[in-house]
Order: sequence, then structure tokens, then C-alpha cells
Amino acid sequence: MTLRSALLRHTTVLFLLLAGGISMVLFSVKYQVHDLESQYRRLSGELEDERRALHVLHAEWATLNDPKRIEALAAEYLDMSPVPPRHVVGPDAMLSIPVREITFDDPAEGGEAAR
Amino acid sequence: MKRNSPLQAEIPFEALDPKRIRMESARKQALDQGRTRLLVTGVMFALAFVVLGGRLVDLTRHGKDGAPTWRAMNRSAVENPVVVRGDVRDRAGHILATSLPTQSLYVDSREALKGGDPEEAASKLLSVLPYLNREDVLEKVKGGGRFDWLARNLTPDQVWAVNSLGVPGFGFRREERRVYPYGPSFAHVIGYTDVDGRGISGVERTFEARLGTQGEAIDLSIDMRVQSILHEELVKTQARFNALGAAGVVMDVNSGEIIAMVSLPDFDPNKPAGSLGESGFNRATKGVYEMGSTFKLFTTAMALDTGTVKLTDGYDASEPIHIARFTINDFHAKKRWLSVPEILVYSSNIGTAKMALDVGAKQQKEYLKRFGLLGAADVELPEVGSPLFPARWGDISTMTISYGHGIAVSPLQLAAGVSALINGGVMMPPTLIKRTAATVPRGEKVLKAKTSEAMRSLMRLVVRSGTGKNADVQGYLVGGKTGTAEKQVAGKYDKKALISSFVGAFPMTKPRYVVLAVVDEPQGIKATYGYATGGWVAAPVVKGVIERMGPLYGLLPDGRGVEAEDAPDHPLHVPVSTGPKRTAMVGGKVQHAAY
Repeated sequence: MTLRSALLRHTTVLFLLLAGGISMVLFSVKYQVHDLESQYRRLSGELEDERRALHVLHAEWATLNDPKRIEALAAEYLDMSPVPPRHVVGPDAMLSIPVREITFDDPAEGGEAAR
Repeated sequence: MKRNSPLQAEIPFEALDPKRIRMESARKQALDQGRTRLLVTGVMFALAFVVLGGRLVDLTRHGKDGAPTWRAMNRSAVENPVVVRGDVRDRAGHILATSLPTQSLYVDSREALKGGDPEEAASKLLSVLPYLNREDVLEKVKGGGRFDWLARNLTPDQVWAVNSLGVPGFGFRREERRVYPYGPSFAHVIGYTDVDGRGISGVERTFEARLGTQGEAIDLSIDMRVQSILHEELVKTQARFNALGAAGVVMDVNSGEIIAMVSLPDFDPNKPAGSLGESGFNRATKGVYEMGSTFKLFTTAMALDTGTVKLTDGYDASEPIHIARFTINDFHAKKRWLSVPEILVYSSNIGTAKMALDVGAKQQKEYLKRFGLLGAADVELPEVGSPLFPARWGDISTMTISYGHGIAVSPLQLAAGVSALINGGVMMPPTLIKRTAATVPRGEKVLKAKTSEAMRSLMRLVVRSGTGKNADVQGYLVGGKTGTAEKQVAGKYDKKALISSFVGAFPMTKPRYVVLAVVDEPQGIKATYGYATGGWVAAPVVKGVIERMGPLYGLLPDGRGVEAEDAPDHPLHVPVSTGPKRTAMVGGKVQHAAY
């Protein structure tokens, strides 16, 4: 009888300790989660704000990108003009570039190698 | 612990004392019952604790809404967009129309009256929003209604100013405001929305369901850059020739996509307008005009396609045609026999009319129908005009229609028809929606490939040595046809009121784009020697557009020079013909049989 009650008491104490320990962990985890959640709420709020700002900025970019506006600005500040069609060339235009002819002398024959 | 009596099960069966069994059985029963009850209760408590524990773990881990996942976050971004109405974008993804979140001011007049003196409230409000009408504000504040708009779409600064007044009864409601970053350039394509954000015209109206209800973005086939170029060139020309209006279309001949479309006069869709009147009218799709000589392209194409004429054939154009009470004459009269290419190059009405008579009214009607000129254009706009043509299609109609009189079509229809002439003979349905290689429809074959090739050469010839010289851009092998039609004023053709047009395409060796410009009632100026014809007014517009658009698209100019085109082996070479080979039947008897 004594052994059994002793065992029972120990188990009770053990379980009480365990329960206490777990409640402590639970307590701290709960507050940790609470903090993380408020952080999450703040971040998703910020994200929402950023998305809104992005949307407005997209619209603003489009307004600033108006070709008429850019043209006026370019005319005022840049020394540039639209590309005329004759400035657009393909790879075969390379062929029409004059090539300087270089002759290679054979050094074995005593000639000088072209530099 | 040692038992003083063995357990019942340990007693051999023979040794069982029936008396004892009975006695113990009663005790045991009570004990068993107690144990069972204890067990059931215990299990139930254990289960309850397990459930509680599980819930505890669950709550600790996930909070009351569950853990946020990336998917949930993405979904919330999709389900809660910044604005409800979708964007309209061009083919490269530039925003052409978007909605911005704004705040609108309303008054709850019961609250406002409770709060104090309406006169004072109105004065305070007017001190920060001075553009409001005092009487109007007072009426609404005293009105007694629970909700009345005072000012829509305020800036954040204005909202802050009104809030800082601290006047009771004024509140804000979140709204959206439609913004068109490129202003008037796209007015007729995109259209605009009313103050409540519903599409009133243009694409905004056509795709109201997709933009408004579903919040989808619409990708147009329009290229913002080309649209801007076309708009600028047309505005310049309209001002230069003091014209009533103008319209322009740039189309991809191979896919049927509309790259740019402009109608002048236009309006600024950003400024809410009541009645737009003339400037709200889309001349490119809704307006139908007698296009004049540009129709000769169709007549020539059908004559070549049916085999009625060959490129070396021709007609006598030395004398005007007199039929019934009409006289058909040439504007650029040559007074001699003209070959088919010459008829087009010199834009001879006489020659074209004779050619059309040879083709016949039935075939002419059939071909015009195939080019989409006898039915309203099927394009994604609510503003589409139906063509006008005679119900009774006699010989006179055949002749006048051959050079673009007596039939009125919209500029868009003309551009789509000309595309089919030069893209190998396939009629592509025009569209404002971006097409990809997979979504380009197959189109309807309307001409033989050979006829299409001949048309390319002929259109090039018109620009090289005919009425369209002002549209030539060196290297891009521009082809086209001028058109000058007199407008009907009170049932009569008015020599002073012209519709001057030019339809061009480039590069003619492998056509990519059709550019059409139509100018309504241009006035001749000194620089054009008083002329206001298509060649002087509209051709330079097309030239300007091609000159700026070609390099933009990285199109390589043909470097072979003008002389190369004279060579007989050039793909655009047109055979020259000098002899009289064919005459036309007019009114049943052969005219000009000998020449």
C-alpha cells in the first residue's frame, strides 16, 4: 500500500511539474505568437500601402511617359532629333564599309611581317 | 503486498464452493460496476482533455484566423485590388486608362443641422474648397437628407483640410477616378467613363463587363508610340489646311490589328464633359465618306483577279464618258489611251469606269462585299457606321463606285480592305485587341496571291511616278493611292468641300503596315498652290508617319536606291505597255473603238 501511494504521489508531482512547465512554454509561445501576429498585421498593412502607392506611381509614370511631353522636353534640353530611315542599317551594311588591304609577307622568305 | 486469499480465477474449478461463490459474486458485481463507471468517466475526461489540449495547441500555433500563408496573401491581393475597374493597356503594356482611389465629400444634413449653424458650416467649407457654389452647398446642408454629394474626387490635401475644419455632418466615401495619362491622343479609341465610372464610349463601353464587373485588364493592339505619331501628324495637318476634321488608321496588314487610330477633332477624356458634339464623333469608324480614287485600287484588283484585264491592257481615256445626264471626266486628264498601270498612276476616272463596266456590276458587288466594304466593320467599338451604297446597282453606279463615288465607307473599312489587297489576298477582320501568333485568325482568302503581288507593284508605281509622290520615304518602298472626293452638300457635289485621303503601305516588297489618312474639307494653301487634294494634304501625313514609325520598329530601308526599281528583275517592276489593246462597252455600244 505504501509503495503504491508513494508511486502515485511521485507521478502526481511529476505531472504537476510537467503541466507547470508546459504552461510556462505555452505562455511564452502565446506571447511570441501575439507579437508575430501584430508584426504580420503591420507588414500586411504596409504591403497594402505599398501596393496602393505602386498603383498610383504606375499611373504617374504613364503620365510622365507621354511621348508629347518627352518630345517637348527633348526639344528643350537635348541636342537630338528623331532617327531618319537612312540611319537604320542591317548587317550587310558592313560590306559597304571600305576595307584597308593588308598584305602579309612570309618571314621565312626574309620579308617583314605586317604589323 | 501479498494476498491472503487466492483470486477466484486461481481456484481450480473442482474446489469452488457454491455458497462462497454466490456471496462473493454480489460483492464483485458492485465492485465491477464501480470500476466500469470510473473507467468510462476517466476515458471521457481524458478525451475532453485531449480535445482541449489540441485546441490549445491549435490556438497557440495559428491564432483565431489560422496562419497566414503566401497563397492567402496573394489571394487577398487579387481579391482586394487597389481599385475595382481594370486598366486598359497598349500592346507593350503601357497604361492607357487606369483608376485611382480618391475620396469624395458628402453631407449628412441631419447631423450637420444638429451640429450648428448651416451658414457657418458652409462658409467654413468654402474657405477650403473655394470652387464650390455657396447656394448649392447651403441647399444641400439644409436639405434634411441623409446623403448628398458635395464634391467628388478630392485630393488628399483637400480631404485633410476638410477634416481639420471639424464641422459635423461632413463625411468622405472612397471612390475611384478614371485617369487617361495620354489625354486626347486616345480619346476615340478608349472613350471615357461617367462620374460613376461606367463606360460611356469606346473600348470603355464595349468591355464594360470585363473592366467594371470583373476588374480585368484589357490589352489593346494599339501601339502608344505610333498612336502618338499619327495624332501629332494629323493635328498638324488639320491646323495647316484649316480642315474640319481628320481621321487616321495604321493597321498591321498580316494580323488585322489596329496599331493606331485617330479621329479629329477630339476631346480630353480626363475632363468630365457633358455633350461632346462634333468632337465626340469617331470619324475613323462611325463616319462614312465617299472615299474617291482610293477605290480605284479595288476596281483594278477585281479586274486583274477576274482576268478581265492584264497589266499590259488598257483603255482609251481621251474623251469624257457621257451617260444619261452624267459626265465622267478626269482630274489629271491625259487625253489618250492609258494602260492599266497608267490608269491608276494618273488616277483616271474614265479608264477605271470602263474597267469596272467590263468586270460587271455583279462581280463588282461580290468583290466589294469580300473586302468588307458593304457591311459595317466588326470592330470592338460601339461607334461603328454602316456603309452607304445604292440599292439599285445599275451601270451608272458601277461606274461611279469604281472610282469611289456613290458609295460611302468608314476609313477603317478602307484600311482593312486595302490590307487584304496587298497581304497576299487574305481579308483579316480588323481588331483593337492584341493578337498573338496563336490568336491570329486565318482570315478569308479574297484574292489570288498573284493579283495581290500585282497590286503591290501598282501601288508602289503610284507613289514613284504618280499622284502619291508626296508620300515617298526613301528606302521604305512606300506604295499607296491618293483619293480626293467632293462632298455632297444638299444633294449636290461641292467642288470646294473635299475629302482628301491617302492610303499607303510599306515596305511594298513585303507589306507590314497600312497607313491611312483622311482629311475633311482641307483648304488649299500657298505652299500647295491652292490644291487641297489627297496627294497634297493626306500623302504628307502618311509620309510623316512612316518616316517616324519605320525606324521605331527597326525596319531596314532598302539600300538599293531608286534606280534599282527600274530594273525588270525588281520584284516591284511593272511592265510598260503603249499600244491600244482593249476598249470598253458603254451603254451597249462600243465607244472609242479605234484609237
